[in-house]
Amino acid sequence: MSDQLSVMQSRQQAPMWLWPMLWGALLLISVMGMPYAEALFRWIEPNARQVIYTRAEFYVLLGRHLLVVGVAAAVTIVVGVLAGIAVTRERGHDFLPLVGQLASLGQTFPPVAVLALAVPVLGFGTLPIMVALMLYGLLPIVRNTLTGLQEVDADIKMASHAMGMTPTQTLRQVELPLAAPVILAGIRTSVTINIATAALGATMGASNLGDPIIAGIVNGNMAYVVQGALTIALLALTVDSLFELLQRKLRSRLSTS
Amino acid sequence: MSLLDALPTPRIRWEGQHPNVVLISLSLVMLCAFWTVDVVSLAPNRIVMGTGYGALEAFGWPGVVLITLLLSSIGLFACQPTLPHYRALLTVVVGLMALMPVGLIASGLLLIDPELPQARLGIGTAYWVVLFVLMLCLVEIRLRLNLTRLWPTLLLTGVALVWWLCAALWLDNLALVQEFRARDRQFLTAVGQHIRLVSIAVGVSVVLGLLLAMLMRRYARLQKGAFTLLNFLQTIPSLALFGLLLAPLAWLAAKVPFLAQLGVSGIGTTPALIALIAYSLLPMVRNTYIALEEVSPDTLEAAKGMGMRAGQRFWQVRLPLALPVLLEGVRITTVQAIGLTAVAALIGAGGLGTFIFQGLGQAAMDMVLLGALPILIMALVVDAGLGALAEALRPGGH
Amino acid sequence: MIELSHVSKRFDTEIAVDDISLRVPKGKFCALVGTSGCGKSTTLRMINRLIEHSGGEIILDGQAIEAYDPVKLRRRIGYVIQHTGLFPHWRVARNIGLVPRLLKWPAAEVQARVEELMGLLGLPVGEFGHKYPHQLSGGQAQRVGVARALAADPDILLMDEPFGALDPITREKLQDELAKLQARMQKTVLFVTHDMDEALKLADHLVVMRDGRIVQQGTPLALLQHPADPFVESLLGGLERGLKQAALTRVRDHMTSMGPTLPAQSRIPADFSLRQALSMMLRDHSDRLTVVDQHDVPIGELTLRRIIKEAQFDRGSSRE
Repeated sequence: MSDQLSVMQSRQQAPMWLWPMLWGALLLISVMGMPYAEALFRWIEPNARQVIYTRAEFYVLLGRHLLVVGVAAAVTIVVGVLAGIAVTRERGHDFLPLVGQLASLGQTFPPVAVLALAVPVLGFGTLPIMVALMLYGLLPIVRNTLTGLQEVDADIKMASHAMGMTPTQTLRQVELPLAAPVILAGIRTSVTINIATAALGATMGASNLGDPIIAGIVNGNMAYVVQGALTIALLALTVDSLFELLQRKLRSRLSTS
Repeated sequence: MSLLDALPTPRIRWEGQHPNVVLISLSLVMLCAFWTVDVVSLAPNRIVMGTGYGALEAFGWPGVVLITLLLSSIGLFACQPTLPHYRALLTVVVGLMALMPVGLIASGLLLIDPELPQARLGIGTAYWVVLFVLMLCLVEIRLRLNLTRLWPTLLLTGVALVWWLCAALWLDNLALVQEFRARDRQFLTAVGQHIRLVSIAVGVSVVLGLLLAMLMRRYARLQKGAFTLLNFLQTIPSLALFGLLLAPLAWLAAKVPFLAQLGVSGIGTTPALIALIAYSLLPMVRNTYIALEEVSPDTLEAAKGMGMRAGQRFWQVRLPLALPVLLEGVRITTVQAIGLTAVAALIGAGGLGTFIFQGLGQAAMDMVLLGALPILIMALVVDAGLGALAEALRPGGH
Repeated sequence: MIELSHVSKRFDTEIAVDDISLRVPKGKFCALVGTSGCGKSTTLRMINRLIEHSGGEIILDGQAIEAYDPVKLRRRIGYVIQHTGLFPHWRVARNIGLVPRLLKWPAAEVQARVEELMGLLGLPVGEFGHKYPHQLSGGQAQRVGVARALAADPDILLMDEPFGALDPITREKLQDELAKLQARMQKTVLFVTHDMDEALKLADHLVVMRDGRIVQQGTPLALLQHPADPFVESLLGGLERGLKQAALTRVRDHMTSMGPTLPAQSRIPADFSLRQALSMMLRDHSDRLTVVDQHDVPIGELTLRRIIKEAQFDRGSSRE
């Protein structure tokens, strides 16, 4: 019985790994191979003087993009999850309604508008973009942390108290593991939005994978646009499929369904 | 009863009434921002970053004392939150919001040299922080007073009217106003374009979404494929999707003159609309599908048992019950489309995004604000409006 | 021993529990019965301090509960609730071993205890140990719930409608098993239920609650004989009260020695109830039964006349 189960699981795991590997490989190929694909892009833009974006290497752009999104994500995950935990504890309970409202309202703010409003306050460059991404990416994580923690069955929470678990033990051993899939979904939303929004940062003085697109649009060079767009799209798909994989793993480990 | 009154219940005595910590902290945040950060900035012309001025310089002693008193009164009222105190809090918060443009007029009079009428008054960080925190206070008070969304909406409309009046009559020096005066035609056109793009995209995706959702309910195979595809599309960053559409559409327009005559081109409205619709389909289809599926099978079974025909069941039972969730889908889609349309300005689709990106290009922050603020307001209004509609359509109002 | 004196609980303006006093001696089984919302669950939760009481005194083994650290207090009280509250992300064995692990028992001891309890509750370790709660039936899940509560061998067991969500057959089976377990382990049990039959079947001491107050308490038999008011009487089943009373009385206590006449056709084991005896008489159209011991050897007889005459059920025959 259990043997059968594990066989089935491993059979499911094979295609699970497939997508991130595939997208990741394509991303690598496009980043490393871009300088050698001149013939291909010449076909798109036969008359341009230059068809490969060379102001910066693509792997450098990718690295900067990942750095901005990564740092923003790391900060938002820590702050967001902690905030979500804080307002669902007894002491922070007063803040719960307001934070809940704010987090659900967060979806309403268009990312472009938030980014644009950040510039007058914070200025141009990578750091302001990072701060804007943090603020914006915080809300989905807080919202999902709240939802996840609040959705944990009241009976289960009561049982854990009644069995003599301390609040910290309840949080770490019961509430967080049960809320993890929902929290992870929030992180996924946040990171996906931030990858897209960071690209817009190219218009605000941050240098990343959005650069070739903006440069291409400004100079009317379609080849640049396609190079940038392709790389960002592949990056987004790679990261997203990694999250998908992570979520599946978590779900199969929790095996609640 | 008398016996119960005699019971020692010290723990519960303040349970309904302990100080509202939220409002107290918000009041402290506002006081800090007001005292430490720049309230306004003054620039000799459009491009130069202005010099910042603190509260004392901007408002003078009387103004600072008045505002400090008002801001601290929020914290003080919150220490003993009774019903009348919450009402007073509501008055103070709304009053402060309405006073904000008056403060700008005052600092204009105090700071601007009459010899230099070209000077532009910029709204400082403290202003934005206080405005944002006041909004939070309003939300908190609304939640504690159990008001519907209608009340704050009405109050905010009133506040907006005051702002508009002040801006139109007395705030000639405000940079935002000057920026608007310089291109009021362009602004209105951009708003029109923005609304048009959003409406077309949402309209088309509502129709397509309904059709697709109904087809999915019939053909289970289609369901999985379509959701996979739409999810895939949603994952691709907007800038990339707009970019990826440019090349093939430009090629199409060049090769097929008929399409070019129809207005198809690599740059402009066509790729913008295609991308907007592609993005709008996922939330629309998902919510429509869930809405239709979610209707309780018991209810439908009962309708069948009462002898309703399939058509009657759909139009009289399934659809009305699904409507609130469906509207929720329209709300999410529209709010998302408002934001994405701003990005579409990059590929020449027009709309309010134009101001944002032009302003960024010229380092003219007020122009950026002129684009970003209306987008934000539009999104909030649509969100509130459609949210209220969905709430009203829910049987029993819940 | 659990002792409540003049305990009350107020939520804001609402009074959930109003001046109740009761005592559960060590090793006894006390049932709190009442309609929903009468404060019986609140009473239970005040004992392990899931809810703090607002007046009166709750004394556990001679010490007021405020003197205990709440967390330590809860670890020494077993607690079973209706929807089990099992942790869905833990396997059965881990769920059962929760409290011993919290008490930092050595791993091997925890393992041994889990296996012992699973055996005791009819859940073979090999079959159930590695399962997740959602893979269990309602009855199995509640067995796990009971096992978890018993894991650290607490003296006191609080049970909040543990069998309320089960189908009648499973419920009855679990009640029987609980009765057997209790006979063996002699825990001090406070059991909340709205099912009077369940309470009558299991309890040594019955407490009827209504609107946060105790309406009546006593042995099951005492309540059946003298319900304090129409509410208690209706809870006890109104006209069926006679049968319920009969169900609490053993054949053994009312049989007479074999008469001069031939033994009756129908045989009944001595530890059956008078209710079962009556049913058998009705079925077999007979007014006499032969009472047998566990080896099916006749040891006496029971007549309808005797049952009806004894319907007063002398007070001495309560189960205490």
